[in-house]
Amino acid sequence: MMKNAEKSFLEIADLKKAFGSGDTRQEVLRGLSFSVEKGEFCVLLGPSGSGKSTLLNIIGGIDSADSGYISINGDKLEDLGEKRLTQYRRKHLGYVFQLYNLIGNLNVRENIEVGAYLSDDPLDIDELLHTLGLYEHQYKLPNQLSGGQQQRVSIGRAIVKNPDILLCDEPTGALDYTTSKEILKLIGDINEKYKSTVIMVTHNEAIKGMADHIVKLRDGKVRRNEHNDHKIPAAELEW
Amino acid sequence: MKKKIRDPLVKRIPRELLGDWRKYLIVSLFLILVIGFVSGMYVANESMVTAANTGKEKYKLEDGHFELTEKADDALLSAVCSGEKADIKAFYTDEARSELDEKFEEEFKGEFVREFDAQFADEFDTTFESQIRESLASQGLKEKEIASMLPEAVKQAKQSGDYQIAYDEAYNEAYPKAYDEAYRTAYDEAWQEILTEIDEKYAEAQEKYKLDDPDFKPVPVDVYENFYRNEKEDNNNDGKADGTVRVFAKTDDINLACLMDGRFPEADNEIAIDRMHADNAGVKVGDSVTVGSESFNVVGLIAYVNYSTLHEKNTDFMFDALKFNVAMVTEDGFDRLESTVHYVYAWNYKNEAADENAEKKLADNFLPALLTQTVVYGNELTDYLPVYANQAVHFAADDMGGDMAIGGVILDILIVIIAFIFAVTISNTITKESKTIGTLRASGYTKGELIRHYLMMPVIVTLFAAAAGNVLGYTVFKNVVVSMYYNSYSLPAYETIWNPDAFIKTTLIPLALMFLVNLAIIVKKMQHTPLEFLRGDLKKSKRKKVVRLPEWKFFSRFRMRIILQNIPNYLILFFGIFFIMIMLSMAVGMPNTLDYYKENAADKMFARYQYVLRSWEDEDGNAVITECDGAEPFCMSSLQRKSETFSEEISVYGISENSRYLSIDDLNSLDEDEVYISDSFRDKYSVSVGDTVTLEEKYENKRYRFKVAGFYEKSMSISVFMPIGNFRTAFDLEKDEFSGYLSDKEITDIDEENIATVITERDITKMCDQLDHSMGSYMQYFQVLCILLSAVMIYLLTKIIIEKNANAISMTKILGYENREIADLYLRSTTMILIIEDAVTVVLGSFVMKKAWTVVMSEYSGWFTFQISPVGYAKMFLFVLIGYLVVMAFDFARIKKIPMDEALKNAE
Repeated sequence: MMKNAEKSFLEIADLKKAFGSGDTRQEVLRGLSFSVEKGEFCVLLGPSGSGKSTLLNIIGGIDSADSGYISINGDKLEDLGEKRLTQYRRKHLGYVFQLYNLIGNLNVRENIEVGAYLSDDPLDIDELLHTLGLYEHQYKLPNQLSGGQQQRVSIGRAIVKNPDILLCDEPTGALDYTTSKEILKLIGDINEKYKSTVIMVTHNEAIKGMADHIVKLRDGKVRRNEHNDHKIPAAELEW
Repeated sequence: MKKKIRDPLVKRIPRELLGDWRKYLIVSLFLILVIGFVSGMYVANESMVTAANTGKEKYKLEDGHFELTEKADDALLSAVCSGEKADIKAFYTDEARSELDEKFEEEFKGEFVREFDAQFADEFDTTFESQIRESLASQGLKEKEIASMLPEAVKQAKQSGDYQIAYDEAYNEAYPKAYDEAYRTAYDEAWQEILTEIDEKYAEAQEKYKLDDPDFKPVPVDVYENFYRNEKEDNNNDGKADGTVRVFAKTDDINLACLMDGRFPEADNEIAIDRMHADNAGVKVGDSVTVGSESFNVVGLIAYVNYSTLHEKNTDFMFDALKFNVAMVTEDGFDRLESTVHYVYAWNYKNEAADENAEKKLADNFLPALLTQTVVYGNELTDYLPVYANQAVHFAADDMGGDMAIGGVILDILIVIIAFIFAVTISNTITKESKTIGTLRASGYTKGELIRHYLMMPVIVTLFAAAAGNVLGYTVFKNVVVSMYYNSYSLPAYETIWNPDAFIKTTLIPLALMFLVNLAIIVKKMQHTPLEFLRGDLKKSKRKKVVRLPEWKFFSRFRMRIILQNIPNYLILFFGIFFIMIMLSMAVGMPNTLDYYKENAADKMFARYQYVLRSWEDEDGNAVITECDGAEPFCMSSLQRKSETFSEEISVYGISENSRYLSIDDLNSLDEDEVYISDSFRDKYSVSVGDTVTLEEKYENKRYRFKVAGFYEKSMSISVFMPIGNFRTAFDLEKDEFSGYLSDKEITDIDEENIATVITERDITKMCDQLDHSMGSYMQYFQVLCILLSAVMIYLLTKIIIEKNANAISMTKILGYENREIADLYLRSTTMILIIEDAVTVVLGSFVMKKAWTVVMSEYSGWFTFQISPVGYAKMFLFVLIGYLVVMAFDFARIKKIPMDEALKNAE
């Protein structure tokens, strides 16, 4: 991996991606370019089909672009083979999905340990459980938890390995208003506390208020790429 | 530095075990039982075979034995021990010279005197007449006067006595000289003629006894008497013979016995009998038995080293521990008995063979030496059996070896089936957990870590089952197997030994099979990208065409969809049932086959008794005859059908014209080289009419080729039939020579000493009886085991089908379908498939079993066709169906238990 200290932490350059072929070919990303600085809370906004989840998956190394590149700390993802991509995800990324995808027969603590296992230097699980507000629930199984609690567990699983980047794909998509705000607050707190770079995909315009960096996508292109100098706490978000 | 966290996924394993404990309990029990039994079989077999092998030295097992018609004298035994071939040519020459010297002079003299006298008289008369003529001429008579006076002058000379005096003088002078000259010439001519004959005879012998084998090396041996008598045994002293007992005199030299109970005989009224036979006959130490006409006290139960199975004849397909026995008495006890002594001599090579090939080579070299020596010493070899070919010594070990091989294969197949069931279950779990797997992969879990995780369960279950199975194998099942073998074989006492082979076959191989099958399927399943897992997009073909179904009723189409969706499961089910059906064919077919042959044994005998005589002439040279009504002479010889792998003894019969016992229409019109063969011969060796079969003499290098003209159905043995005249020609017999009598009545007027053997219905039924005794009851257990096996397999696979459809079932409940209707949809489709698979596998399984039976039988002497009765087929079908019906009850309960919120919980 080539290192380039002068460049941004995360750089996305002329990224293109299409699905299908012939008549069914659909261009999802049409030459996206922007960059994200280390420790930023970046929100990818856009309607359904705008390409934001595809972009997140490419950043996460679980999908690949047709052209263009993504570099993290100067390392281009396209240069990595499958094994090194896995190592990249293992060492640098945390993933939070709309559906929590927890392991049903492991309790809260153990589900978080699943993430901790991947790291050589994981966060203290007890402390994290307190941060997540799950300490009292640590021995419960996922099916004994509410949706919000389950999402907290999934965030805990992602963050416990202290990743450089936390990727969140519609993390509040399946939650009610109050719980969503709690989760957003939690992600904001984590961003603050652990200095993780957060990239969150959402179609909820209101969430941009708590972000440092807002990238708006439509039809596979960046329509707006702006920095927010007037961040507000998650608790004050309204939608 | 913080301590590295152990893989938390490991914690799922005990929870999953507990969560689905019924399934894992059934699988574990199944594996434990199978592994335990096979492990027990390996441990028991190995221990017993080791004991038997150790016993060979301890109990002085022979390297072979031979039987002679007469007791051998010291000179013959000494010659046999040398291992050298006799000089057959010198023997023929000496024999011919002494015969010539004995008979020539007398025969020559008579003929010479007749010829000489006639010739001398003529010559003398001519000479005498010319002398008188000369005398008359010297008197001055003219030729005409001489001619008229000469007859009268000759007459007067003869009357006066001068003639006779002159005659006698001349005769006495000429005779000795002429005799000597003629004798020498004639003797030389006769001897030359004999030498030519000897050359021809020797050339024949050279081929017959392989005298010119360049590889021949003398095989020195030690020879021991191992005489026996075959006596009738009455083990409950009710006056009726219960079977045959082969009685040996106690010896310390060769073929000793292991004492299993009691003690060896010491007095002439004491006997030790075979432990196996005693068990079967209910005889115990302390009982008395009647042997021949003598009563003996049973003082011991033994296992002779050379009779680990009670084979009465080496050619018997099956041993007979029910009606055949071997026993030991003292020398005096042996003399109390009256049946003919079989002059059996056991030999041991002075130089032990390194392996079986070397042993075979030694035996091949020893045979011509033995044959030529017995010919030279005027005896006759009637049996020759090297130990490697002795069924009574090897059958048990071979059978145990075969059982181990079959047990190993069955275990492997069952493990593979279970492994596939495991793999399908895991594959479904992976599908079910695809989003979680996608998340883990996206978080950095490697494929290898997840593959290892999913492999843990089958490996742990197999490891546990193997450990528990081996513990049971060394304890419980070993004893079960040992008792099974002690129920069939006369084996010496054994000690349990650690068996690394059992560990490999019942632990390492099952583990490897389970690991590899699951690895292959899990690795394939894990090839999907994290994104595909996250999307739950694990179908092989992304644009799979939906099969269009005909316009059936809704329920029928629904069921068809379920069937199409579960084709891989139904395929595994098919192969599982198919394999079980092969075993079930064995379990059901074996008793069917034995019953069939027991019931039809009489129909398969062309005469109730076949009396085979020692010789067709008695000591006085008169033909052995019987007044028994209907007794018919026949000829019989035993030849061999040899192949590289197996040589089988074939009975060749010469049948009288218009035989009342064998009705073969055109038998008498057969050409000299044409024969009929039994249907058993036809079936075993796939012979057709017009084929030529080549048979060989057992001990001699002589071949016979016969053209098959037809088949004779009423014979169970592997036999050849030809007219008695053709037989006598083919085997160089005398005009009226025969081998014995066929009769439907017992013949009582032939001296026992003249009878070599009697073939009766028992010779056919004893095999069935023994098989029934050894395996019959186990077949019932085997049937139950097969039902359980099929039920377990069906249970596991239908469980997968229902679990896979849990969401859909839950949804149909939400829609308002009743449990009965849902069961009708999901269970009936499986029932339909199962019934079809059941029926198809009954046909296929029995077909494969019959083919396998043919292969197995080809390595044994004799033949019988594997039979499954129509009821047997129905049983096979019903056994699997019954297993399924039980499982269906569980499945119905499982469907009832699926909650309605299942579909809602799992909906995205």
